[in-house]
Amino acid sequence: MALMPKRVKYRKEQRRVRDRKATKGNYVAYGDYGLQALEGAWVAGQVLEAGRIACQHYLKREGKLFIRVFPDKPISKKPLETRMGTGKAEVDYWAARVKPGTMLFEIAGVAEATAKLALLRAAVKMPVRCRFVGRRLSV
Amino acid sequence: MKAQTPVLQAKHREKLGSRYSQRVRNAGGLPAVVYGHGEAPVAISLEAHDALAHFHAGEKVFKLELAGSKEQIVLLKELQFDYLGTNIVHADFARVDLNEKVRTKVAIHLIGEAKGLKQAGAILMHPVNEITIECKVLDIPEFIEVLITDLDVDQMVTAGQVKLPGGDMRLITDSHAVVAQIVIQQEIKVGEETTAVAGAAEPEVLTAKKPAEGEAAKPAAGAKPAAGGAAKPAAGAAKPAAPKK
Repeated sequence: MALMPKRVKYRKEQRRVRDRKATKGNYVAYGDYGLQALEGAWVAGQVLEAGRIACQHYLKREGKLFIRVFPDKPISKKPLETRMGTGKAEVDYWAARVKPGTMLFEIAGVAEATAKLALLRAAVKMPVRCRFVGRRLSV
Repeated sequence: MKAQTPVLQAKHREKLGSRYSQRVRNAGGLPAVVYGHGEAPVAISLEAHDALAHFHAGEKVFKLELAGSKEQIVLLKELQFDYLGTNIVHADFARVDLNEKVRTKVAIHLIGEAKGLKQAGAILMHPVNEITIECKVLDIPEFIEVLITDLDVDQMVTAGQVKLPGGDMRLITDSHAVVAQIVIQQEIKVGEETTAVAGAAEPEVLTAKKPAEGEAAKPAAGAKPAAGGAAKPAAGAAKPAAPKK
C-alpha cells in the first residue's frame, strides 16, 4: 500500500510553485549512501513504494533503507471527459514535493558497490534524473 | 592537529553579496569570512584549489596570511555547499589562540569487525559519525578510533563510552548518542506498509464538518464520493448545452 498521511488539516491543496532548489533534506543524513534527485517533481507514493521494493529486493535483508521524502501533498485530478468547473476535483494521489537536490533514499550497513546497485534500481522507478552520492565533507 | 599548520593566502573582499561572491568563485577563489576574538568580521577570498585540498585532507587549523595584517591562527568552523552538495561555496573561520579551548567536531572511525555482524540479518548502524568535543586547539585530533570487535547484537557504543584521546578533553555531544549499534534487520513483506494505516483509503481530515444528528446516512466529508463523484459529470452531460452568446 502506498504511503499517505494518517490525518490532514485540509483535504485539498493548491498546486504552488515547484521550480526551486532544495535547501534542506539535500544531504546524506542517516545512512552512508543516498539517491539524490537532480530535477524537481511531485513523486507519488506509489512510485516511492515501487522504488523501495526494487531496492529492498536487491538488498535481500542486508542493510537498512531510509525513505527521506513523504508524500503529504494531495494531488487532485478531474475525471476524463468531464466539463470544466463544478469545483475542485477529488484527490487522485498523494505526492512528495521533490526539488533538485532532494535526497530520496538512503542506505546504511552495506558496501558501496551493493548500495550503488540497489539505489540505481530505485532510480529507474523515479520520474526524475537521480544520482548516487555519499556523505559530504563535514567540519 | 598536525605538526605543521598549513598556511592559507587570503585577500580582502571589497564587494560583498552573492553576485560578487559568484565572481570570486568564477575567478578560482573561495569566499570566506574570519570572525571572533572581539574583532570585526573580515570578508576574505582564498585560493580555492589550495583551500579545498586542505579541507578534503581533514585540516581544521590554519595560519591565515592576509594582505595588510599580521598572520593569525584560525579554526575552520563551517562549510557551505551548493544545493547538490557537490561544491563548497563558502567557508567560515574563527580566530583562535593555540592554547585556547574550542568546541569542534571530530570524526569517529570504527575499528574492527563486530562479532555480532556474523549473525544473519545483522547490520551495523552508526547514527552519529562525529562527536563534538571541547579541547585546546593544539590537541584537536584528526579522528577518534572506536574499537567495536566485541560488539554483539543489540549492544551499542554511546558517545559517553568513547575514550577521548586527551585527558583535558570534554565531550559536548549528548553522552547517550549512539555511535555504533548492531541491530537485526526486520524483514518487510512485499506490499505491507508500516507507515500507512491499513485499510484506510483516505486520511482523517481534522477540519472536516461533522455530520449533524439525523444526517448519519450522508457520507463523511473526508470520504471519497465514489457514487457522487461519478454522478455529477453524468448529470452535467445530460443538461442541454448553454446557448451561445
